[in-house]
Parts: sequence; structure tokens; C-alpha cells
Amino acid sequence: MAITGGAFPERPQIHRLPQPHYIDAVRWLPQLSAFDRFAVLALSSPSPPQIYSLDPQTLTLAPQSSWAPPSRVSSLRTSRTQTHQPLIAAGTVSGSLHVIFANAVDASMESELSVPEKDLHAGPVSCVDVMDGAAECVSVGEDGRVNLVSVSGSRLGVRRVFDSEGLVSYTAAKWASPTEFVTGGYGFGLQWWDQRRPGGAVSQFKANWAQGTTSGIVHSIDIHPSRKHTCLAGGSLGTVFAWDIRWQQQPIILSGIGTGATHSACESEVWEVQYDRYSKSTNIGNISSSRILPAMICSEDGILAVVEQDEEPIELLAEPCAINSFDIDRENPSEVICSLEWESVVILTRP
Amino acid sequence: MLGVASDPGDGASVSGAGALVPFLPEARGPVVYPLHHGLKPPIARVAISWARGNSLRVSFFRRASGDGSDGDEVGGKVLEVRLNNGDGDISDAQLRRVAYGSVSPFAVLQSRRNSVASLSKISSPYHVEWWEYVMDYSKDINSLLGNPKSLPSPAIEDPQAVLQKVEEPTCLKAAWELMEVFYADKLSQAWLPERLVDWLTDYDSLLSSTQATIHLKVVDFQKELVTLQVIEDNTKYWEVISSALAVGWLDVVVKMLRLHGSYLLDQIGNRETENGLVEAVAVLISKMPRMRPALESGKLGECYKAKPDFIKAWEKWRAQITKLESSAFWVHCDHHRTREGLRNMLQIMLGNINSLCTATCHWIELYISHFLYIRPFTVGLESMYSLAKKCMQLKPMTSSHTLIGLVIGILGDNTEVVLAECSRSFGPWMVAHALELLTAGSDEAETLLQEERYNLGGISIEELHRLVYAQVLSLDALTWQLAPIYLTSCMKQGMGLLEILLSKQPVQHTQILLKIIEICRIYELDSISSNIMKIAGVYHWKHGRKGSGVFWLQQARDEVRLNRIALQLFDSVGQSISDESFKQWEGLIELLGSDSKTAGGLEFLRKYRDFKKSLKQVNDGKTTDVAQQAVESLISLMKNPSTPQRFWLPLLYDSLKLLSWQERPLLNVSQTNLLLNKVQELSMARLRPDFIEAELPPQALGGVRLALATNLGRAILEEK
Repeated sequence: MAITGGAFPERPQIHRLPQPHYIDAVRWLPQLSAFDRFAVLALSSPSPPQIYSLDPQTLTLAPQSSWAPPSRVSSLRTSRTQTHQPLIAAGTVSGSLHVIFANAVDASMESELSVPEKDLHAGPVSCVDVMDGAAECVSVGEDGRVNLVSVSGSRLGVRRVFDSEGLVSYTAAKWASPTEFVTGGYGFGLQWWDQRRPGGAVSQFKANWAQGTTSGIVHSIDIHPSRKHTCLAGGSLGTVFAWDIRWQQQPIILSGIGTGATHSACESEVWEVQYDRYSKSTNIGNISSSRILPAMICSEDGILAVVEQDEEPIELLAEPCAINSFDIDRENPSEVICSLEWESVVILTRP
Repeated sequence: MLGVASDPGDGASVSGAGALVPFLPEARGPVVYPLHHGLKPPIARVAISWARGNSLRVSFFRRASGDGSDGDEVGGKVLEVRLNNGDGDISDAQLRRVAYGSVSPFAVLQSRRNSVASLSKISSPYHVEWWEYVMDYSKDINSLLGNPKSLPSPAIEDPQAVLQKVEEPTCLKAAWELMEVFYADKLSQAWLPERLVDWLTDYDSLLSSTQATIHLKVVDFQKELVTLQVIEDNTKYWEVISSALAVGWLDVVVKMLRLHGSYLLDQIGNRETENGLVEAVAVLISKMPRMRPALESGKLGECYKAKPDFIKAWEKWRAQITKLESSAFWVHCDHHRTREGLRNMLQIMLGNINSLCTATCHWIELYISHFLYIRPFTVGLESMYSLAKKCMQLKPMTSSHTLIGLVIGILGDNTEVVLAECSRSFGPWMVAHALELLTAGSDEAETLLQEERYNLGGISIEELHRLVYAQVLSLDALTWQLAPIYLTSCMKQGMGLLEILLSKQPVQHTQILLKIIEICRIYELDSISSNIMKIAGVYHWKHGRKGSGVFWLQQARDEVRLNRIALQLFDSVGQSISDESFKQWEGLIELLGSDSKTAGGLEFLRKYRDFKKSLKQVNDGKTTDVAQQAVESLISLMKNPSTPQRFWLPLLYDSLKLLSWQERPLLNVSQTNLLLNKVQELSMARLRPDFIEAELPPQALGGVRLALATNLGRAILEEK
């Protein structure tokens, strides 16, 4: 079991903000100024689906601006363009993709570009990811399509990279470099793609610890900008592992049951995984390049924790319900926002 | 704490510096209910009608398009809109928040019950009384129902604000607190009358919705206060003071007394006696002995824990009142209204039944005044109930209120009535959770609620109501995940219903599917879990997501279906697994893994891929080693029973080059014999009517047979 607060002498401050809606996804909007803080919430039933920008400055989330997608949001990402304009990318369950540009001053939503359903995916968009500093998205779906969507002028250009015609379903995607990205899917499978080498994945990884029923699905992938060769993935059965493409088929397991990991932060689905850029003492440069950097996870059994290679996980939050998504603020990594199954948002401020 | 609910409606009339009644800054506007019908315009017609309760049914109709261009687009939609009447009622979102919040206390209490049951045989010195656990539970639930003391007090206190600003209380909370006082809190049994005084202080405002109350009187007077010049000349002033005194709102009474004109600096000189009397009464009131352990800050009275101390103080206090009553100073008091008002207050404090009757508005207020001034030692439900009946006769209510039915049921010690009132007024949530309080109340109630009943199909009343609540939870997509907690606390039918609930959930969305499987894992429902995975597998398969379909069927270890879909998959394999489309299949084959048990008949795909790969290398490079490998793959494919018969000939035909390898024969005698036998079997099978002919040149079989025969000859020579 995870120990509580081992590395943090002070507990993080926890602010619970109940909402009258189910929250499908939550992201920080890249910080505009030192004073204003905004978060994007994709809300769903019983209200019509909407994305709200909220200002947690006073820690009383107040709607800032909203936009109504045609159906529930299945994947949400935020980024900024080269001109530092905040950008929101959202994929929906009906298969459409929307790119929304927010005002750089007050975070109001200024313009929206979209690709209609059926043009992109048959069925829901499983995951979108936006390239840092460039308005280019990769979108994947259970229908087995891998698309690149780029903003060209006032239109979105769509390019299909691959179509497995349903033979393989993709559930997660993440950019590794301007030309490479990684996708994940069933059976703890990961695929490495390079736009310079079209026609299919350049490299494939399949968890070979998966015997019998211990196999699962990758739900989320992260790649650290300073470690582009290592891909971090989280999925079923509390599994968090890293795949270094230089050591092809040998995963480094950080957590999970039935994987032989020494520690396990949780036992159920890991919905989201992100490298935790917040650490007080250690400098990334000092950590050996073969060691996996600390990562934060959230899980179906209500755990928000920081996992590290060969160390006890540090539990930040243990809720009675699922934590469906979280986001670490890029400019201020001590702040974490997460959405709970029971219609509420929690903001953590680490000391 | 006594309070006035924030009343936004009157903001305009008492605005400015003289604001006495605190009010919310924004006025209550019209309520807007946004509807999301999801239909494409144009909408031709909208129809509105009443549905159950206070719900509206709104129907949207699209115009039927003659050309049928929008194919699968639906023609209309019907939505139900629940109208909240704003005040007092709790919104759906709040109710869900209560439902979410009550899961943990409920689960903790159930697990404690189980551990207490298992420990009951061993007598432990650290034995915790069961009611203490119930009390923890009750406090947790109570805190979910809103906290009326949470509004921040203003920085500068308004000297004329008689009532404090509080959030509007809810009937649900009032009912819960009442049940907590009577059933769970065994510590407060000794000072039950004072608990009821507090309860009425907090919730008298709720009764205002159906009839006159003292709270309403005070609120009305407060609004008038700003217009009054000489307050003590107003009859209503004295009326409100004595009413507030009758129900023990001592802080309000003293505050109002101090607004008396004789306290004004310019008058204190010539109204000295009058002021002395007012102050004497105020002091007496603030010194009133109370039979309770403590008082909240700001509340008046002197607390006594032990009964003898209290009796002594009570007698002394009453003697002081009598002394003041018969004092000579009254003659010197010139102000008629003040004299009469104060003497009436003394009568109330001495427990004059007529004064109490006049001062109170309905029987509960009269009842409370009895506890305060006539019978502070009333104990036992029986005597409390007879006192209540007496008060009801003296001061009948003009109309009924949901809370009153509950009060009568509790005082009458009638568990069934209490349960019925809870169910009627507050719904399934209240019943399912209040049962814990009721069963803790008395052994009789526990037996009544927990005994199995033939007419309920062998379950108890307790289980029945938990099942009903679980049913309500499972109807909402947002709360169905809470239902398992309540179902698993039902011994008889809970697990069966849980299995049904889980099996009926939609499996289309992977995230929801995984949440269902997680619940199955927690409750160890492996067979349900595997059934759901089978359903999901077939669903994905049918919608063209072959990979997901295979994955879920693998997870369910459903070999029968895997073999069946394998046959379908092979149809497309025959044509498409060419060298170019390998990439598409690669992922699926990776997914199948190396464990043949979970792959079923699909294991063939993996071997076929390996064979094709080495064959391709043979065509590219032609080294004998590579060719030998290809032959090994071929033999293992042909040996494997899962290789479909219709692939035999294409496989052999593809390997003609291997069969007639120039350097040396690649197959030994036994291998060649194996293949020849297969060819023979194939020739026999061709005679059967259901045989599917491969799309190959007609002489293919002959060619293969010839190559095999040649190879056999060469192999025999080689081995010699």
C-alpha cells in the first residue's frame, strides 16, 4: 500500500468544489498572467455538454465562457500556439474534433475550428494530443484510424496516417517530437510512429508479462520533453510502465498488480498518467537517464499518487469514488486539478 | 440558533442604512431550464404537458422531410423537466450530492455492524456502545444536509438586527435532527426537553410555510422596527417579546428589551424606575436555569448538569420572579404598556398556562413552553406524548405540515408511522438511511424492522427499503454506481439484484465498461464480469472493431466465440493478408499474444503470419537456412488442428518452391508423408457438398501432389 505523504512533510492543501454536473475531463489553461488562473472543464449530463473556463483565483470556480460541442467530450487537451494564444482541443464521442482558440487576456473563447463526425473517425475519438507550440493534433479512435489534424489558416486540414480498419483499436496518443508520436491500445500495446516513415508503426511494443487474463488497456501516455526515447503509459490493473525504445521489448514497471512490480499505487484502471514536474530537491539533470522520472497517476479506485521507480508511491488523495482525470499546471507544477466521479473538482496545492 | 432566512424579495423596501433584515444581494429572477434536445433544426412543433409530480413533459417534433434525405435522423424527442419551486425544495444536484456523501458513512456503519457481530461473543473491556457508532453516522449524514450556521456574520453588527442571518434550513435536515435526538443520541436523553427547545429554535421558520409561527411574528416585527418611533408604545413589541420568551429565545428577548425607550440617554433620568424594572426582567431572563450540559455562545441561561442542583436553582429563580412580581416598584412605573408587558412576561416565566397559550401560535410552540416553564423534568415517551396531546387540544394547528406528522409518530412511539411519514415526505433516501436510527432506537423497533416477513417475500422491512433506494439510484446514469453499496448490505436479495443491475448496464463505452468490471472485481462476481466482457466483445466485433472484440473475448476466455469469429476472420485473411497489408494485421496478431489458450482458433493467424514472413524472405534471398525455417513453420501449421482445412491447399501451393528446392530436399520422409496424408484427406473432403474450393488454378492440387511425390523420392534417397 502507498504510504501517505512520505516525501512531503506538509500535506497539500485540498479544495473540494462540488459541481452540479458530471465532469468528463479537466485541464488547466496555460497561464496567461501571474494573476489569472483558468481551468477548462468538459461537463456532461444532466446539463448539455459544455466547456467552461473557470477562474480558481478565489477557489470558487465561476464560469468564464462556454462553448457547446455537439456531443460529450471524450478527450480534452490544452496547449498554446506559437503566438502564445491558449488553445483547447476536444474530441467527442460522436467522432468530431474541435480546436478552440482562447483570448490571451481574459480566456474568453474566440474562435472555433472543427472537423465534423465521420470525416475523422467512425465512432468516438479516443484521444487527441496537441503538439506543444504548434497547432497540430493527432487523433486516434477505437475504429483503428490515426489522423493528423493541422490548422492551416482558418481551416483544419486532416491527413489519415493509418487505418487498421478495426483490426487494432487505439485508446491513447502522445507526441514525442514534431515528427514522432506514440499510440497505445488493447493488450498494453504501444506503437511508435514516425511521419518520415509512412505506412504503419515504426516500432511496436506488447507487454509480454500479460499472461491469461492479466492483460489490459493503455488509457494514457506521457513523454517527457527531455527523455524523448522513453514513453510512460498507464492502464488497467494499476499498471504504470515505461517503454524505452532503445531497449525494445523490455518494459520498466513502476506499478501494477500481476506485473511483478515491487510497489503498487492502486489496483484498478489508471485513467491518466503525467510526469510530475514538481519536485523540491531533485534536479532532472542529476537523475540518471536510465531512471524513470517521477509520475503522477489517478485511478478508478480513487487514488491520486506520485509513483517512482523502485520507491513507495506517495498518495496525495484517496477518494471514495473514481478520479477520472487530472492535470498538473505546467507553469506552476505544485498545483493539480482533478475531476471526481461524484460530480466534483478537487484542486490540490502542494507546499 | 434562531435565525431569519435570507429573504431576497424584500430587498428594495428596506434598503440603505436602515437595513434590519439581512438579504441576499441579487434578487431572484425567473428560473430558466435549458433543454438539450439534440435535434437538428427546424423544429416544427413543441408540446408541453404535465408529467408525474412537478415535472413537465416537453415533446419536440421535427418536420417530416418528404425526400428522406436525412435518413437516420430521428423525428422527435420527449424530455422531462423537473421544476423546482425554489424555496425549501432541494435540487436534483443537491440530492445527488447528499446521495454521494452518504455512501461512506453508510458503508462504515455496515462494516462496523459486521465486526461487532463477529466480536459479540468475546466480551471486550473496550466495548463501544452501538449507539455511539450510530451517532457518528448520524452526525456525518446531518452535516451533508446543509449547515445553517455557515453564513458569515457581518463585520459591523447591526444593533437593531434581532435575528441572525442564516441559510434557509430544509425540512429534510429538520426531520433528520429530530430522529437523531430521539433515536441515536442516548447521551441527550437526560435533557431531551432542552434538545427540543433547540430544535424548534432552528426550524420554527419551516412551519411558517403552512401557518402562523412565532418566527414569522418576529420576522414581521423586525421589518416594522425601522418605522417605529417609540417602541414600547407598540402593542406588537410586547406581543413579540412574550412570544419569543415563551419558546425560550432568550437572546432575542433580551436584545429586544434593551431596545426599550427607557435606555435612551435623554430619558433615563425621568424613567429610572421603569428602566430598573426592564433591566431586572432582562437579568432574570438571562439567569434562567437550564437543565443541560452547555449552551452555544451567545445563548442565555445558566446550565446545570445534575438534577438536584437544577431543582435548587430553579426554585431560587422562581422565588426571585415571585418577589419581583410582588414588588412595590410596579406602582411607580408610569408607562402602562411597559408595566403590563413586563408583568405578562413574569407570568410566562412562572408558567401561567393562559399567558403561554396566548403567546404561542401552535401546539408545538405551546409544548416547548411547557418544557421550559411548567414541566422541565418531563421524561419518557409516554408522558411526553400525553403532554403533546394536551397541547394539541389547547392549541390545534390550522393545517398539517410534513414535520408535524413525523413529530406525532415519534412521540407516539409508532415506528410504522415514522417510517411512513419519512417515506411520504422525504422519499427513499431518507427511509433507507433513517432505518439505521430507528433500529438503534429500541429493541422492539429493531425486531419489527429486521424480522423476515412472509408477505414481503421473505425479506425484512429494512431490506425492502434498502432495495427500493438502490432501485432509485440505479435508474440514474450518474448514481447507479452507488447502488452496489446498498445492495450488498441486503442479505437475501441484494446480490441477485446486483447481478441483474450490472448485467443491464450499457457496454458501448469502454470507460463505463471498465467501471462495471471494476465493481465485479470488488464483489468477486467473476461470472458476471466474464458475461459482460463477452457481450462487449460481440458488440465491438459486430461494429467492425475486430481488435477490441477479440480482446474482450480473450479476457472472458470465451473459446467458443473466439473460434467462431476466427472462421469469419479467416475469410478476410485469405484475400487480404498479402505482403502489403501485413501492417494492418500486425497489431491484431500482436494482441493475440503467444498464449495459445486465450487465442483460441486465432492462434493460426500468428503461425500463418510467421510462415508468410519466412516465405517472403525465401523469395527475396533464397538461402537454404531461411527456406528450412519456412518449412518448419509450414509443418507446424499443417500439424496444428486449428488450421482450417480450406487453408491447406493454398498453404501448400504457396510453398511449391520449398517442396521442390533445388539444392536438397527440405522435407524429410515423415514430413512429406504427413503432407501427403493431408493432400489425400483434402481429396476426400472435396467430395463432400459443403466443401469450399480455394481460388486457385485447377491443376494446383495435382501440382502439389507431384511436388510432394518428387520430394518423397529425393528424401528417401537422401536418408539412405
